[in-house]
Amino acid sequence: MVQATGILIARPRPGLRRGRALFSLYPLLVLGLALFVVYPLGMLLAQAVQADGRLSAGTVLGLLRESYYRAVLLNTLLLGVSVAGLGTVLATGYAYAMTRVAMPGKKFFHFVALLPTISPPILMALSLILLYGRRGLITNGLLGLQSTLLYGFWGLTAAQVLAYFPFAYLLLLNLFRGLDASLEEAAWTMGAHPGKILTTVTLPLLIPGLASAVLLLFSYSFADLGNPLLLGGDYPVLAAQIYLTIIGLYDMPRGAALALILLFPVTLVFFAHKRLAERAAFASIGGRASSMRHPQFRHPAVRIGGLLFCGGVCLLILLQYATVLGGAVTRLFGINHTLTLKHFASALTASRDALVDTIGLAAAASAVSGVAGLLIAYFVARSRVPGRGALDFVASLPLAIPGTVVGLGFAIAFNRPPFLLTGTALIIVAAFVVRSIPYSIRSGVAALRQVDVSLDEASTSMGATSFQTLWRVILPLLRPAVLAGMIFTFTRSVTTLSAVIFVVSPHWALVTPTILSQMDRGDVGEAAALSVVLIVLVLLVIHGVPRLLGRDWREGTAA
Amino acid sequence: MSTGTAKALELRGLRKAYRLPGGRSVPAVRDFSLRVEPGEFVTLLGPSGSGKTTVLRTLAGLEEPDAGEILLDGVPLTPLPPHQRHIGLVFQNYALFPHLTVFENVAYSLRIRRTPDVRIRDEVEAALKTLGLEELASRLPGQLSGGQQQRVALARALVMHPDLLLFDEPLSNLDAKLRFQVRSELRRLQKRLGITALYVTHDQAEAMSLSDRIAVMRDGRVEQVGTPEAIYARPATLFVADFIGRVNILPGRVVDRGGSGVTVEALDRRWNVAADRCPGAAGEVLVLLRPEAVGLTEAGQGDLAGTVEELEYRGDQTEYRIQIGGVHVVVVESSPRRTRRIVEGDRVGLRVFEDTLHILPAQREG
Ligand SMILES: Nc1ncnc2c1ncn2[C@@H]1O[C@H](COP(=O)(O)OP(=O)(O)OP(=O)(O)O)[C@@H](O)[C@H]1O
Ligand SMILES: [Mg+2]
Repeated sequence: MVQATGILIARPRPGLRRGRALFSLYPLLVLGLALFVVYPLGMLLAQAVQADGRLSAGTVLGLLRESYYRAVLLNTLLLGVSVAGLGTVLATGYAYAMTRVAMPGKKFFHFVALLPTISPPILMALSLILLYGRRGLITNGLLGLQSTLLYGFWGLTAAQVLAYFPFAYLLLLNLFRGLDASLEEAAWTMGAHPGKILTTVTLPLLIPGLASAVLLLFSYSFADLGNPLLLGGDYPVLAAQIYLTIIGLYDMPRGAALALILLFPVTLVFFAHKRLAERAAFASIGGRASSMRHPQFRHPAVRIGGLLFCGGVCLLILLQYATVLGGAVTRLFGINHTLTLKHFASALTASRDALVDTIGLAAAASAVSGVAGLLIAYFVARSRVPGRGALDFVASLPLAIPGTVVGLGFAIAFNRPPFLLTGTALIIVAAFVVRSIPYSIRSGVAALRQVDVSLDEASTSMGATSFQTLWRVILPLLRPAVLAGMIFTFTRSVTTLSAVIFVVSPHWALVTPTILSQMDRGDVGEAAALSVVLIVLVLLVIHGVPRLLGRDWREGTAA
Repeated sequence: MSTGTAKALELRGLRKAYRLPGGRSVPAVRDFSLRVEPGEFVTLLGPSGSGKTTVLRTLAGLEEPDAGEILLDGVPLTPLPPHQRHIGLVFQNYALFPHLTVFENVAYSLRIRRTPDVRIRDEVEAALKTLGLEELASRLPGQLSGGQQQRVALARALVMHPDLLLFDEPLSNLDAKLRFQVRSELRRLQKRLGITALYVTHDQAEAMSLSDRIAVMRDGRVEQVGTPEAIYARPATLFVADFIGRVNILPGRVVDRGGSGVTVEALDRRWNVAADRCPGAAGEVLVLLRPEAVGLTEAGQGDLAGTVEELEYRGDQTEYRIQIGGVHVVVVESSPRRTRRIVEGDRVGLRVFEDTLHILPAQREG
């Protein structure tokens, strides 16, 4: 007993002393991050704050002085606030019902709520246009309206809330689950009915978490590019303006200055969100929680309310997916509902290159992100190499940066020597990796924290090099986390639009920009079919790959 | 602060199994019956996992029983949700609301019932005063010591004037000294207020000192109910004897039966055991001898002779392991009573306080 405890106590002592192999990779990671994170951001910044070759805030200030751009900024803010408020209310209700109400169908509700997190966000715009657009099934077909209400604030709000509230739901789900159950039970025995418990105990304790959900949604709405491009109409917002300025007007400095205006609030809000989320997590799991099993309210009104709420939200989400499917299998949705496979045929032929390239490049990005993420996680959590804090910060920075800004930074930085990469596969893979590596690192660090330090100490003391230790001892334990990170990278890469729209080229076509241009041309059927193919593909990868790899890889990736 | 008339609690045939994901179920409480008189303080005492917490949670309505009845003054509670039961529950971790001050924590149940502000102030202040917390009213729970938090939790439960007060190991997070102090305060308070109370602990000293009666639990059932004296002196089963205090279990045989008791042979000697200490004993039996019911004397004196094999000095007490003709007996003596130090290997005499011997049938073992 006594001897054994000496070994079991985990000391925060790095298990790395021998072995240079692993450390020789460190400069490589630093260089990679410098080239693909720091350099593009720097170039973007340089582009935005110079005029006539001199350093000047003129472009940025000039934009802010124009009433048009002030209106754009106001639009963006207003949209962000609405989406954040509405989305948080939806997410809170959903997470509450899922964690506190005794009701059937929870697995199904969870699955449906997660669908939008693995779909391209423009899917919502697509389905809303099919349902409520100028020739929409409901507005035009059923009601005979020529409504343009969809194209503007209301349509954008609806699309973004549907596309992004699930992210807030996931955040709040964990916080609802993490609250000390005995607090709510205590309130219950003291005479509070379920509604009172929610308003007097649960929600007040979750305030940091709710605030963090609001900020998260706000930054997602700010950064969204696809929906504003399709639904913006006469409601211009920042991200779309950047796109139009670059692609339509070829005005790089102006685009870069707009990107800076976008970047500033999003980054600010994101870091505020992160701090609050940390505090919320601390508040809920700190202290001595007596039980993690929360009250499951059985009052008929509560159960019916929960079912109606979750059922309603699910119906709303499923309606969008059903519509896209409908659009994919009919000749012209809303007008000619003859069934056809021609859209699928064309998705699989005309857009075959886009599909193949997307899958190939996303798979390459997954591999890179998986390996690099794990290495960075290892340096951050298990070593004392100088600069590992800065490494972590820089690698995590893209979390806080809108995809549009990353993409534009890439376009500016790699369109000229010394790093002329425009048109290559490398630039696309790099954009994918930069966008997803923060998640790989986080999941790697979290998993590494679960692995006892004494394990790699034991291995190292038996003469293994750090590389062998990582390979033989740690990697097998981390397999589920690494796989989860890789699948996440894949999903995020094939669904992103904003990060790649500035770096696609005729040599390398990608699916989401293809869908966008099909929509532009009015080929909604093809766009819908391609979207369906993409979602099916993602679902196959998420559920199929872990199963193919077997049990060792699977634990913890079920989400 | 007084609670009006105390109520009687009656539990009949309570059953509860937890269903695990995957369909398996864990029985936690099986056929549990118990009556608690109005104003009585009853403790559920049992090893970890014996179902104590489950009984309390079922009473409070936080778990639904699979079968059985819960009656409070004859009124069935099972159909009521927790917020309509009017039962106070003091949690092991106190469960104070971290976002509310001490005052608001205590006032919580009153605010829920929409009590007028003036009455809330009076009641809360009275409760805080009873527990010596007046000074702390405006603090947050995070700014209190463990003992203070414990008092706030108690004040919060008392201010509801509950029909029944439940405690789930409320002292287990306090250090030993504080536990001792709060224990006696708790008992005084409960007596003064006359609330019917059910208390859960696995600390037998706590159970002994607090309770009017103790219900010893094992595997979800009541093994024995009785006053602390009865449980200690006349355990109904070997499990109770072994769980409450320490005991030497000696094989023996009933050799004679009289009106006033039985004569039993153990350790090669005959002993007379009173009738109330040998329930239904005949033939092969187990003789229970408490370690403190034996005194050491000079070799050659006393009822038995043995050799000291091992001893452990503990300051106030010394424990001896003594071999008596192939059987080991543990003896505990208060240390300062002896001038000549006994050492390992010494021959000693043992004087047994025959009145304390207790007999259980041999087949009840296990
Ligand atoms: N939520 C639960 N799910 C499944 N089994 C449970 C749950 N809670 C308790 N059990 C099981 O029920 C049995 C009784 O548990 P209970 O918590 O009532 O015991 P206890 O006497 O309070 O123990 P302790 O002294 O350790 O607090 C145990 O076997 C326990 O493992
Ligand atoms: Mg317990």
